[in-house]
Amino acid sequence: MSLVREQKIELPDMIAYAGATWDWHKLHYDADYLRERGLDRPVVDGQVFGAYLAIALREWFGPDAVITALSFRFKSLVFAGETIRCVGTVVREEAGTVDVDLRVEVVEGGRIAVAPASATLTLP
Amino acid sequence: MTLLTRELAARIGEERVYTAPEPLGRAAIRYFALATGDTDPAHLAGDVAPPTLICETNQYAGLPRDADGYAGHGWHLDVPGTRLVRGGNAYRFERPVGPDDVITARWKLADMTERVTGGGRTMLIVTSVATYTDQAGRVLAVNEETLIHVAR
Repeated sequence: MSLVREQKIELPDMIAYAGATWDWHKLHYDADYLRERGLDRPVVDGQVFGAYLAIALREWFGPDAVITALSFRFKSLVFAGETIRCVGTVVREEAGTVDVDLRVEVVEGGRIAVAPASATLTLP
Repeated sequence: MTLLTRELAARIGEERVYTAPEPLGRAAIRYFALATGDTDPAHLAGDVAPPTLICETNQYAGLPRDADGYAGHGWHLDVPGTRLVRGGNAYRFERPVGPDDVITARWKLADMTERVTGGGRTMLIVTSVATYTDQAGRVLAVNEETLIHVAR
């Protein structure tokens, strides 16, 4: 079973996410603020990777799968315009419960954005 | 250099509680689903919140934005000579969240520990735990968050 999901993150996605989460940190859109900190592109809000992993898990295991736990650690920044790839590996499955190891890669350049990460789901 | 001063250590155990001024709402759920590319019909209809929404939104906080534009919970720890980076999150989801739920978030400053990286840099690891409940006091989710102050 191939557990892979790719998603390009464009600046309008980041603006929408900032509004949807009431998080207006300048790292995510303000060119002057970024330049002062040696950054040349807006930084994707790290919190969104929780949402992206949850979407990937429900696509892989179906809409009736229930995510009961999700954890992730940040490895490197992701920038506007980059494409991320969520990758999952089932490490245990028994009695309607599945444990999945996860990571998020940046397609351009192959660096790891999020790892280690893991989730537990109950299946219907 | 010691980052974990006596003043900082004394803050371990502090709590802040925020209750949203309104129910979560269908529009907030739909907006979050659209912003993240979620195609689940129940999320796009606003019937059920995507599981991580309440852990990611600042809707409940009711705080003014700071100089960086951030309007969420923070401990505002004074750790001179460091830069702040995100470590990670560990979520536990207890119940589905719907549009009529009024979210209360109880943040606790659970722990602070000092470590030295392999490269010799000192860092202060700050662990916080947020417990989200609905208007009936039922636990919806628990979020353990790690922030790291790294010496420059």
